[in-house]
Formats: sequence, C-alpha cells, structure tokens
Amino acid sequence: MSKFKIDRQTLDELNLLGKFRAGSVYHLFNQVRTRGGEQLLDEMFNNPLSSTVLINERSETFKCFQEHDFRFDYDVQVISVFREYLDTKTYNHKIRVYFSLLSRSVLARLTRDERYKKSIQGFQAIVQVLKKTTALMPLLSWAPEPFQSRVQEIQVLLKRPDMDQLLQMDIYSEIDLGTLVFYEHLLKGKLHTDMENVLSFIYELDVYQAVGMVARAKGLGYARALEPEQNVFRCQNLRHPCIEKAVGNDLLLEEDSNVLFLTGANMAGKSTWMKSLGIGLYLAHMGFPVAADSFEFSLREGLYSSINVADNINLGYSHFYAEVVRVKQAAEAAASGARLMLMFDELFKGTNVKDAFDGTLAVTEGFAEYTNCLFVVSTHIIEVGEELRGFPNIQFRFMPTILEGGVPRYTYRLKEGITEDRQGMMIIQSEKILELLER
Amino acid sequence: MKLETDAQTLEDLRIFGKREQTGIFDLYNDTHTRGGEKLLREMFRNPLSDIESIGYRRHIFAYFSEHHLEFPFEGSLLDMAEKYTASTKDAGASRQQILNDKDIENGVVSIIQLTQKLRIFIDIDVVKASVPFAGEREAIITILESDVLQPVLRDKNSGKVSYSAITAFDALFRSKGQIKIEGLLHLIYLLDVYLSVARVALKYGFTYPKAHQKGSCILSVDGLFHPELKKPVANDMVMEGHSSLVFLTGANMAGKSTFLRSIGTATFLAHMGFPVAARAMEFSIMDGLYTTINLPDDLGMGASHFYAEVLRVKKIATELHKGKKLFVIFDELFRGTNVKDAHEATVAIAIGFARNSESRFIISSHIVEAAEQLGVEPGIDFLFLPTRMNGNTPQYTYTLERGVTDDRHGMLIIRSEGILDILKNGKKGRIYCNEAQ
Repeated sequence: MSKFKIDRQTLDELNLLGKFRAGSVYHLFNQVRTRGGEQLLDEMFNNPLSSTVLINERSETFKCFQEHDFRFDYDVQVISVFREYLDTKTYNHKIRVYFSLLSRSVLARLTRDERYKKSIQGFQAIVQVLKKTTALMPLLSWAPEPFQSRVQEIQVLLKRPDMDQLLQMDIYSEIDLGTLVFYEHLLKGKLHTDMENVLSFIYELDVYQAVGMVARAKGLGYARALEPEQNVFRCQNLRHPCIEKAVGNDLLLEEDSNVLFLTGANMAGKSTWMKSLGIGLYLAHMGFPVAADSFEFSLREGLYSSINVADNINLGYSHFYAEVVRVKQAAEAAASGARLMLMFDELFKGTNVKDAFDGTLAVTEGFAEYTNCLFVVSTHIIEVGEELRGFPNIQFRFMPTILEGGVPRYTYRLKEGITEDRQGMMIIQSEKILELLER
Repeated sequence: MKLETDAQTLEDLRIFGKREQTGIFDLYNDTHTRGGEKLLREMFRNPLSDIESIGYRRHIFAYFSEHHLEFPFEGSLLDMAEKYTASTKDAGASRQQILNDKDIENGVVSIIQLTQKLRIFIDIDVVKASVPFAGEREAIITILESDVLQPVLRDKNSGKVSYSAITAFDALFRSKGQIKIEGLLHLIYLLDVYLSVARVALKYGFTYPKAHQKGSCILSVDGLFHPELKKPVANDMVMEGHSSLVFLTGANMAGKSTFLRSIGTATFLAHMGFPVAARAMEFSIMDGLYTTINLPDDLGMGASHFYAEVLRVKKIATELHKGKKLFVIFDELFRGTNVKDAHEATVAIAIGFARNSESRFIISSHIVEAAEQLGVEPGIDFLFLPTRMNGNTPQYTYTLERGVTDDRHGMLIIRSEGILDILKNGKKGRIYCNEAQ
C-alpha cells in the first residue's frame, strides 16, 4: 500500500509534529533519552505505517512495554561516547593504527592533546554498554514478536566468542596500548556493523520504553488496525491526548454511516473533538498508543483537515478562497477513490453566514456520497443540518451548551441530533441589552 | 475632555502599526524629532471631545498647511540637546559618568544653536502674523526673554564656543536654566508636530473637518477615502437630523470593511483636530467612538465569537443608556451564530440603536431579510456597495448607492473552482455508485 497521505496544513492543525512546540503530540511522546532514539521517534512520526500487520505488531510491543515496568537505565553520556567512538574513523592496517595511537599517547603526555584519552574512553564505553546490554537481555523475555527476534539476534551476537573476550574486560584495570590498538582496529573495522546493530537496538529500546512510559502516565490505550475493506472506525472515550482532564466521547463510523455532522456553539468543543479524531487516527496508523479506552479502525490512505483557521476579517475573502482551494484538494483526493478521512471545521467561516450556509450544504452533500471515506463536518449554522436529514449515511451529533445565569457552560459530551441551542436571542435577552436601549 | 474609545477600535482602524504593518499614526508621522514623535503618539492616544480644544488645534494645523513652512532645525541638533537635558535630570554625581566632555560640548552648542534659530523663526512674518499660533509664540517669547537665556542669545560666534564658555553655559543650563530649556524643547516638539501634520495634509490632499457642538446631529462627508490606499475611490455620506443608522449591504469584496474603516478613521482623526482623507467633512462631536470590524474569538475567556459580539453590543448599550452620544460601527453584525438568530438579533439591535437619534451607527450585514423589517423604522437609511457581473467575474465600483443588495459570490467561487463537479464525477462509495448509474 502507498504511503499515508497527510500534508503540512493538516499536520499543523493537529499540532502533530514540532519538537519545540509546546503542546504538540510529538512533544508529548518525546521522552526519549538518546539522540538516536529521538531520530527514530522522528522517523516514526514522519512515516505512519500502511499495513495492519505492522501496526498491530508495533502497538503490541508498546503495550508490553507499558505493562512491564522496564527501565532504560543506560548512562546516556556513555552511549553518546560510544556513538562518537564508532563515528571516528581509523586506518585499515593495524600497523598504522598502532602508530597513530602511539603518537597520540606520546602527544597526550607532552601536550594537552585529548585524542588518546578519547580513544580509551570510547573503548571503555563500548565495554560498559555491552555488559549492560547482556545484563538486560533476561529482563526482556516477555517481549512480543517481532521485537523478540531482535532481542534474540542481539543475544546471539553478544554470546559470540569474540564478544565474550570484550565482555570479560575489566575497564578499571590498566589497558595497555596493544589491547587498545587491537580493539580499535577490530571494533571500527570488522565488528563495526555489529556495534551499529547494538546501538540501534538500544535506540529502539529507548523509544519503546519512553512511549510505554508516557502511555502509562497518561492512561492511554491501544488501537487495533483492521483491513481497509471493513471500512469501520470505532472508538470509546476518545480524548485529546495533550489536554489534561480532557472529556472523552464515543463514535462509530461505518460504510452506511460515514458522515458525522457536528453542530454546537463556537466554544462548545467541536474543534477539539475533531482534532482528537484526527490525532487518534494518525497515532493509530503509527502503531502508537491512543488516548482512548478502545479504538478500532480500518486502514486509511490519508487524512485531510481544515480546522480552526484563525478568524480574520482582514483576510475575509482571501481566507474564503484559501478554504475553497483546500476543499478542492480534498475533493480531488476523494474523487480518485482513495479511502480518506476528511475533516472540515466551521467551513467558510470567513465569509457571510448565507454563503457559508450554501457552501457548507453543497460541499457536505457532495462528500456524503463517498462512503469509502470518513467525513466529519462541523458548523454553527444549524439550518444546514435540517437540509441534510434525507441522507441515510449522515450521523448528527452536537456539543451542548448550558446557559447558567446568562453565562454559557459547556459539557464537551457529544449528544445525538442537531443542537437546539438558539442561544442567540437568549443571550441578548439575558444580558438585558434591549432594555438598556429602551430609554 | 477625551473621546472614549477602546483597544478594539484602535485595532480595527489600525491606528498604530504592528510589526510589519504600518498604521494611520505612521502615515501622519513626518516629524523630525523623537520628542515630536512622542508628542504625536500622545495625541493619537488621546482624541478630544470638546469643541474648543479640537478647534484650537485644527486652526494651527490649517494655518501651517496654508503657509508652507519648513521645520527650522535639524533632528540631530535636537537629539544632542535631548541627550544632554535628559541626563541633567539625574542627580549631579552620576551625570559625569554618563556624559563625557564631548557630549557636554555637543549639548551646550546645540542648545545655543536651537535658541538662536528659534529666535529667528518666531520673527518670520508668517509666524508673527499667525493668530492660531499666537499663544505658543507668546510662550516661546516669554522663555527666550527670561534672564537666564540672555547670555545665550548674546553669544554671536555660534559653532565655536571656547572650553571655558562651555563650562559656564553647562553650569547655567544645569541649574537656573533647566526648566526653561525643557519648556523650550517641548514647544519645539509641538512645533514639529504642527508642521509635520500640516505637511502631511498638503502631501495627501487631506481636508480639515468642521466640528459642530455635541448633539447637533450632523455627520456628512464628501469625497471620503481611505488614506492608506493607493487608488482609493471616494464616497459621500450624509446622516443628518433623525437619520441615525445606516444599514450597509454588499458582497464580500465590494469594499464594506474599507468604507467602514475610512469613516471610522476620519471620525477618529476629526476628533483629534487632525486633517482627514476627504474633500469636506462636518461632524458633531461625540462622547465616544466604538468599532467592531475584526473581532477576535476570545479563546482565553472561553467565550464564543457570538458571545464576544453580544458583550460588545452590551457595552455600547450601557454607554448609550448613560446618555452618551456615540459613533458606532459594526461590520457583519452577528456572524458568529446561525442564520435565524443572526436575523432576529440584527433586527432587534438595529431598531434599539436607531432610537438614539443623537448617536450615529453604521451596521453592515448580509441578512438582507432584516432590511424589510427595518424599512418601516424611521431613522434607518439603507446603503449598499454594488457588484457588476462581467460574465462570470464580479467587478466592484466601490461607490455607495442607496438601497439594499443581496449580492453574494461564495457559491459562484465554489462552482467556478469545479468542486461540485469533481465530487459528482469521482469514484463514489458502493451505495451511491449504483444510484449514479
């Protein structure tokens, strides 16, 4: 299957990536300790999976890490020294290695040259890390496949006789130049790939452990990927993962009920709920834990959103036009027959209420016929909903507003139907504006 | 008295620039000195609300616009003087550390030069003859003729001042002369503002509006345009006597917001006694000016856009209830709610507003249906900005006409982008596939 389609705008709107953006989903999961772990996490965030098997395997691994209190207690400093040691190249011939190290050791004594010290430290770091890894192996007996095979692979590697010698090394006793030269030549030469392999295993451990830990701390659940043909999306108590004490909601979208028409006042939580859906689906495609009690989904080919575009009359028209272009992109993608999730929040908000009414209606009617896609549309223009009643595959939900002494309060719990909140005149009356104007 | 206004209004009218965007202030700011700029900013922060102070300022500006005069000092001279006097205010001991000998020399020399040039300036015939400026001129003369400044005016070999003379002047300026010199600098800054605004008025062809007493129910503009536009289209508008509310309609690009900004900005500037972007303008002085052109959703407060609008309407209603006379602008009133509520609320509020016959309201809206109910109310006028269809492309005249329009182009754009066709002909889901065939 092709790569999951998502573009810059959607990524930004859902605030998925962004290392330095507080509140981004990446930021939430970025509890990794090593540089390499961070790179791996980046890679996972940038490449959602497109096979149910891979997704379910990865999410199973995370789940096991969450359940078993596995501690990543490598010294991060030592690992970066390891990395550095491997990255500094040396000579192919042992003799040249010998002379270069010899000259460094002499230089180190005469001047403040630190290269000799670096070589020793690097070597010591490798011994330390390998010992640590060997000790960790029995603790990973519960690891599920395919990670279990990785564990086995590393275990076999560490039990090799050439490794054994290394593992017997006592780094606190003196290491003579001969040994240093021997290993420098060996580790950077013949064993280089093996060492890389150990390192990347450690990075994987780092990511699995970090994500598992976040999942435990935040009480996240796991998604189950289903085949695309089943065309289903089911979640219970789905929340926004980055919001503390977020209110969860349930939803079921299927072939014959693939459109969610969401109404409610502006602050009632429509956008947040849509973002929760989008983030949930994206994380699920990465095989990551999701903020839900249960989450089942058929594999999708992409995600398009248009959410919460800053309301700016300065851009009034150009904003409207940008939205039109966005909808057009989405329409083209849907028309190609791809199985997508499309989300439009407060469509055509920048324009007047009547154009927004006509536009939202026409676009929703158009998209509703694409039952291969999941389609979520929200609006405060409740009249659109009445016009859409005839479509069998449209589900109507709303985010309620409760007026308490004229001040609106929001429950953030989805209800079935179209909102009846005619708050407009109610607020005006409760604020006693007309009385003020009556003089 | 001060004209009441608020941050939202200043934001809407873009009075002060923000980052890369320039504001109305920047347009009027052609001052040579930092002190002048500060003073001008002060004026923009404090629009006036009484006919005397507005008239006073307006006459000085108009006089200088009429008699073209250049600001007689270089900005650098004032910068040096400013640096020197500013540090004089600090306690003597620390002053030596801030100012070195060179700074002191520059400061003393610049003050001597300023004083002498000012003496010459106020004796120019045009300045002498000015009635509006007479008060300020009098104040300058009083300071110049005070004993303290006599040695300065006597000093003839300007530019070359001996080291000993500098020490003597420094001592003089720091002690007895300090207050006089500060007063003089303030008057120079004021002069800078007057000349600068007068110059701007000439450069852009601005006009000086005529102010009327509060409550005289006059608002008329002739050839009003937006000062920041390159090729503005001018509009006329009259709201006199009982006609207190204008209900403005038009398509999105037809220029509603620009017109509202133009009239809002002109009213704001008129209340400062400043020249405005129009051929002619008359207005009765108001107690307050409130616009709502680009209201942000107040996410922090958890209020919706609609609620934010309601709160704003309430604020204005409260002021009106107190008997204040206001100039109020609402762009796209109640667009944060559904069609039905927007309709009902617009009608109710517009009628309520229109009964305040001494205030002035302009409301723009797309709810054309509201116009029918409002038509029977006295005091409500209807204007619209038309769209001419040239085939499929809309063209705008940006010229106000009487009446109501229901021009909209949202659907036109959606159709012309072909979105509905794309969706109609794409690979649909199983259920609708059969239906389509």
